[in-house]
Amino acid sequence: MTLLPGPVSAATEGATAALSVAGLTKRFGATLALDDASLAVRPGTVHALLGGNGSGKSTAIKVLAGVHQADAGRVRIGGRDQDLTSWSAADAREAGLRFVHQDLGLFEGLSIAENFAFDAGFPTRSGAAIRWRSLHCRVREVLDDYELDVDPRTPINELRPADRTMVAIARALQDASGCGDRGLVLVLDEPTASLAQHESALLLTKLRRRAELGQTVVMVSHRMAEVLSVADDFTVFRDGRTVATLVDAHPTEDALVELMAGRAVEELRPVGGTTATSTVRVSVRGLAGGPLRGVDLDALAGEIVGIAGLVGSGRSTLLRMLFGDRRPDAGEVTLDGRPYRPRDVPDALVAGVAYVPEDRGGEAAFPDLSIADNLSVTRLRSYWGLRGMNRRREHDVGRALVSDFKVKAAGTTALFSSMSGGNQQKVVLARWLQQDPALLLLDEPTQGVDVMSRVDIYATIREAARRGSAVLVASSDASELLALCDRIVILREGRADEVLAAEGLDPDVLTRKLLRSSGAQQEER
Amino acid sequence: MSVSTDDQPVPAPPEAEGQAAHPPELLHVPVEQRFPLLGLAERYALLVLTVGICLYFSVSPKSGDVFASLSNVNVVLGGQTAVLMIAIAAVFPLVAGHIDFSLGATTAASMVLAAGLMSRHDVPLSACVVACLVMGALVGLVNGVAVTVFGMNPFVTTLGVATLLGGIILWYTGGQTIFQGISPELRVFGSSKVAGLPQVTAVVAVVAVLAWYLLSQTPYGRSLYAIGSNPVSARLVGLRVGRNVMLAFVTSGTIAGAAGVLQLSRTGSATADSGTALLFPALAAVFLGATAIRPGFFNVVGTVIGALFVSFSVSGLTLSGADSWVSPVFNGIALLVAVGLSTWLGARRRSRQ
Repeated sequence: MTLLPGPVSAATEGATAALSVAGLTKRFGATLALDDASLAVRPGTVHALLGGNGSGKSTAIKVLAGVHQADAGRVRIGGRDQDLTSWSAADAREAGLRFVHQDLGLFEGLSIAENFAFDAGFPTRSGAAIRWRSLHCRVREVLDDYELDVDPRTPINELRPADRTMVAIARALQDASGCGDRGLVLVLDEPTASLAQHESALLLTKLRRRAELGQTVVMVSHRMAEVLSVADDFTVFRDGRTVATLVDAHPTEDALVELMAGRAVEELRPVGGTTATSTVRVSVRGLAGGPLRGVDLDALAGEIVGIAGLVGSGRSTLLRMLFGDRRPDAGEVTLDGRPYRPRDVPDALVAGVAYVPEDRGGEAAFPDLSIADNLSVTRLRSYWGLRGMNRRREHDVGRALVSDFKVKAAGTTALFSSMSGGNQQKVVLARWLQQDPALLLLDEPTQGVDVMSRVDIYATIREAARRGSAVLVASSDASELLALCDRIVILREGRADEVLAAEGLDPDVLTRKLLRSSGAQQEER
Repeated sequence: MSVSTDDQPVPAPPEAEGQAAHPPELLHVPVEQRFPLLGLAERYALLVLTVGICLYFSVSPKSGDVFASLSNVNVVLGGQTAVLMIAIAAVFPLVAGHIDFSLGATTAASMVLAAGLMSRHDVPLSACVVACLVMGALVGLVNGVAVTVFGMNPFVTTLGVATLLGGIILWYTGGQTIFQGISPELRVFGSSKVAGLPQVTAVVAVVAVLAWYLLSQTPYGRSLYAIGSNPVSARLVGLRVGRNVMLAFVTSGTIAGAAGVLQLSRTGSATADSGTALLFPALAAVFLGATAIRPGFFNVVGTVIGALFVSFSVSGLTLSGADSWVSPVFNGIALLVAVGLSTWLGARRRSRQ
């Protein structure tokens, strides 16, 4: 392992690299997004590009893709040295760079073969009729090559999530297979961000195999554990500079986070022990419906309870039922000793229950409204008086929340969608926490959130508990549950099967317990 | 009224969605904040353009004398009564993300209903007005129930309702114009003036102020904007999506019903017409309005400016000697430009990163 604490000399590395970038500088107005950044990717490796929000890694990807033009910088790919100040998307394609973004850009209702053809063109006979057989044949070969055991005529939306990503990757690289290795470089931007844990594991295994077959991969991801499991080399960006390049290394997560943050990792860990009181805030008995078959669960005021379980175990269903968004078939819930039977979301709101859904963009955001609008939407009535809506107070309250919750935003009039994922999530949390909920329901609270914001969000959740909220956190991330929770409830076969004290529990033990439940389930069937 | 969309089944599991927000790297300042003048220009461009066109036609030797006269202002404002009302009505469902094509037909049906009640059944004027408002509200309710309870496509539903109303008008009138027995009070109301301007314009102004207040100064209006932005998020922050959308359709139907009475007071007769000629200039005004005052969003003030822009432009062109085809061509182009502009503004808002 060679740790080079500083930019790699492009001259020495560039000669052997499949892709190397040197002196990359990009300015947006007054902000220096990239400041003499560099990157060297060895052929046939998976190279992780890491950095917190604002580190410049996404900007670097966008420059390479030809979306933004650099102010300075050169790229060397396939032995040719080219200028990045006039780099276009066509240049990137010509040079052999292939990008697969988080939004895969697949046509959901169309078949795999059609999706391939929209990229590479349909084979036609004279008279422009499509030669379907030849298309299916060619696509089948590519799919075989990528170990995808699916028919080319399968519509995209019938594929499992990991296979969809793999199809997008195969499509991006389709002109490489068959005609030998043209040295294409695959750039993946957050490939697993929207995948459940077992799906992303499947994807990463396949990706690893591609690399072993000689495919060069550059990967941007927030999920540290996954990055560590798949990458050979690491480049860490901070404040627009390359702060470290780790070649053929096996760093620890803490070491990487430290490089990304530029401070010791201990500071990033959530602080403070349990704030649980002895008052039972919420008590669930025999809750059933959907995948749930009778969940019993208690949470104390000030307590953070983790809901663990495999995909399909009903984590989200449980939270949605408690939020009145889904009716249970059976079961009783009491909140502060009183029966709690929300018929709909407004009922839950009146009872002081708050819910942060997993899919932030689709279910929590008002993307084209301002930050102030997003914050005030749950309490519009309180701003209404004889003289209409008190917008000034809305913005005053909004500004206070933005600073309390450490949201980085250009004022409360900025659009919600203009913020990064971490800041968006902070705004969604602030929306609910401004009214001190009795029960706070969080579904994957740090999904698509960078490491730095994650720490702020953990602190925020702890603070909410300290103020007396009972918090239920559903998460597929074992280390998140352990960092955040006082107790962890494992949902298994529709029941709260096991309750664990989080303190001193090892993440591997928790993961093994979760996986074991799946084994038990399969045996029964 | 029951809430329907609040009980929708739980959406697909998140792994099937695959579009968690992508974190952009930089802190982005809205254009208005970086360049305050640019934001201001965007907001008031349509108003400035309207004033500019009015000035141009006022000094232009071809149209000047007549265009700038008070009587021409009266003709334009009075003639645009129904269009302005329908435009204001259309803003409500559009803010919540739905379009209502039945508003023109509702206004036409309301005219025929009022005229018919007065000439065939000797119903007093006040009762006629109430009947028209109730009819408008009912049409809105039908649209609202179809869209929210049954989840029907609003485009096709309201188009269907419009066609149906057109047919009923034809049946009721037998294709004849109703002009006898219209209350003289109504005629007097329609032709009298307040401060030199048509009295009906004052009514339109009051309706516009009310609509503005409802949409921008009440929790109801703000809820509609939130629903228009993301109905799922709206449901999960406790807004009653179904009820609010239904109410938007009812509000707009009621305004369209009122528009019928005002139009009857101006024309004094109700023809067997299905109101399409009223709807499209109104929609042009609404979409033009979405490029002004609060760019990217449908809003009442912008809509009124948009309507004035279209009507004074057409008046000026007509007075300059343009042929009769110029008016629909101008309306069509204005509608296309408006939709294009607001689409572009919306896209730019989303990608201003």
